Amino acid sequence: MFNNGRIAVIRNIVRAALLSSALLTVGVGGALAEDTIVWWDFLGGGDGVRMKSLIDQFNTEHKGQVQIQATTLDWGTPFYTKVQTSTAVGQGPDVMTYHESRIPLGITTGALSVITPEEQAASGIKSSDFEPANWKQAQGPDGKQYAIPLDIHSIILYYNKDELKKAGLLGDDGKPKGLDGAANFDAALAALAKTGVTPLSIPTADGATMWRIFYTLFNQQNGAQFLSADNKFLDGDANIADATKALTEMNSWVKNGYTPAKTEYPASIALFTSGKAAMHINGVWEVPTMVDLAKKGQLFDWGAIQIPVFYDHAATWADSHSFAIPDRKGNEVPAAKRKEVLDMIHWFNEHSLSWAGGGHLPAYKPVRDSADFKNLKPNSDYSSLAATAVFDPVSTLAGVASPVYDAAGNYLMPGMNGEMAPADAISQLQSDLQGQVQ
Amino acid sequence: MTTISETTPPQPLVERRPRPADRSEWWAALIFTIPFVIIYAVLFIYPTLQMIWLSLQKAPLIGPGTFNGISNYVRLFHDRLFWVAFWNTAYFVLLSVIPSTLLGLLIALGVNRLKGFAQSIVLACFFLPYILPVSVVYRIWLFMLDQQFGVLQPIIAIFAGTHLNVFRTLSLFMPAVAFVTVWWLTGFNVLLFIAGLRNISPDIYESASLDGATRWQQFWRITWPLIWPVTVLVLTIQLILQFKIFDQVYLFGDGGRSDSTMGMVQLIYRNAFQKNMGGYAASAAVVLFAIIVIFSVLQYQLLRARGEK
Repeated sequence: MFNNGRIAVIRNIVRAALLSSALLTVGVGGALAEDTIVWWDFLGGGDGVRMKSLIDQFNTEHKGQVQIQATTLDWGTPFYTKVQTSTAVGQGPDVMTYHESRIPLGITTGALSVITPEEQAASGIKSSDFEPANWKQAQGPDGKQYAIPLDIHSIILYYNKDELKKAGLLGDDGKPKGLDGAANFDAALAALAKTGVTPLSIPTADGATMWRIFYTLFNQQNGAQFLSADNKFLDGDANIADATKALTEMNSWVKNGYTPAKTEYPASIALFTSGKAAMHINGVWEVPTMVDLAKKGQLFDWGAIQIPVFYDHAATWADSHSFAIPDRKGNEVPAAKRKEVLDMIHWFNEHSLSWAGGGHLPAYKPVRDSADFKNLKPNSDYSSLAATAVFDPVSTLAGVASPVYDAAGNYLMPGMNGEMAPADAISQLQSDLQGQVQ
Repeated sequence: MTTISETTPPQPLVERRPRPADRSEWWAALIFTIPFVIIYAVLFIYPTLQMIWLSLQKAPLIGPGTFNGISNYVRLFHDRLFWVAFWNTAYFVLLSVIPSTLLGLLIALGVNRLKGFAQSIVLACFFLPYILPVSVVYRIWLFMLDQQFGVLQPIIAIFAGTHLNVFRTLSLFMPAVAFVTVWWLTGFNVLLFIAGLRNISPDIYESASLDGATRWQQFWRITWPLIWPVTVLVLTIQLILQFKIFDQVYLFGDGGRSDSTMGMVQLIYRNAFQKNMGGYAASAAVVLFAIIVIFSVLQYQLLRARGEK
């Protein structure tokens, strides 16, 4: 039967339970006093690590006021589908990352909410702090703002200083010389080939890369317009000619043996980092790969610059990570929360220097103009591209993992690798995309 | 052998009324099956009917649409991409179903000859690929077959004269993907076949060899007929599975000429999720569903009829 020992134990248990539930209430109550911003992004790998540390910094600085609760989802179509399906039923986050190239489709499917000028002003977000093209890309056909840019990410030319020096292509400032102009670039490739190295490695098996390089070369020509105002792809003979010129140039590198054909993405990077290839065209997101290898002493003297001007004027393909607030049907993000989110976006823009460690260029001009950024290598070597960056055509068919990217894999990739004549590839590309316009 | 008529008394011609015990058995049966039936109806029957209804509409992925009869189907059969996807899927099924079944049987026959620890180790080795997720399988084979640095390229160079990006060469794409798929999934077939082989009593083989049967005769006259039900099962499972091929074809074809390499499920995925055309995608899904049902039933009936000779 019960004895004093057992009663004591039971009494202690009851006391402990009461104490812990009291503490829990206080703790939970305390936590409830601060707001939570539910955040979805698609940033994995090195980008994910960088963003996480930024989020942690934000949470530390805003303890007791607002905390970010972040979830990372799969990059690409799965992310955008999930956003679309959840906002349609009133679920979803308070803020999400969004590629600017996907905004047209996001607007059509009703996933994005408008960020009014008053809201922007209340949080200190000014359009003058961003490049005009970058800012405009986040707008809908109605001219309203649907997202705030965070960064500009683009393709650049990585180069091996030692190999370029051997071929006489390195200036005294350590930057390549004699690469501007298509004929000069081809001559430079020939000079590099003479020294026995593979001149240029490109992910030639990857449609996405084909698109980015093609779009860059296309837009460097005067008057080139991939999508006309009345939704026509490569409208008119001039645009077709410009497109064919760009693809023919890309094909010539493979035909002349300067660029290995059908090289997979990881292999193309390995060709460069192992020293077999003198130059490499890839996205800025591979900068951390180079930086980390260099830190371990496993990389030669390397550098990166903006893609050279092949034709009439400078231009580089770019896309932009931006922040958007979803349009949750029936469960809109309340006004107070929206203010917190926009304040948070402004904070991230002001602190985007550490985000630039991923190779990206901060979209926020004050950061790009700061001394700290000017000292950040190699980003400051290619940050000039931001002024002439060209973004994906504004179309529901364009953007990451879109029909335009698929068409690049179907036509530009075989066109560059010599499976299809460039003129043929361009005309098929044009009719494919035009046929999908609804 | 005794027959039934010798041991049981003749049955009365009048049907007996159901005893109360029968009714309670009915109740028990209902209680046990109703939960499954409800879940099955909600999670399978209802969405399938909704999908068929969706295929008759012009609708986005989410949201209401307008009824437009069978025009989705008409458009589908005129769509070049549909036929590409259809023939790609059929080609893939041809390249993967029979080889993986036969290979599974071969390996099972071999493994069955081993004893004890050796058998366990060898069986584990053949089964190991099956436990890998598809993304890992994709990475392994992309790495091994990489045109620049892949370890298998020297072997390919012997046949093709040069290093080849196998997955970017249209004529080699499906065979390569089928090869990887067979490597990945054969282990499961091996298990099924071993179970079937173990059911054959060794006495039959003993008496056959005593009668002077050769190894081939033993296989063809004893093993093959007795294992026939398992073979039919494996073939049917594989057929249904490979008709639904998506992962490997999507992964290996990504960034390449996907309009030439895609399968049926990828067509559905693209139309539904990338192009936001829910009704059109649903019509493709209904067609695939019908194809799988027809082919698997046909195959099962044909094979079973042959086996029961």
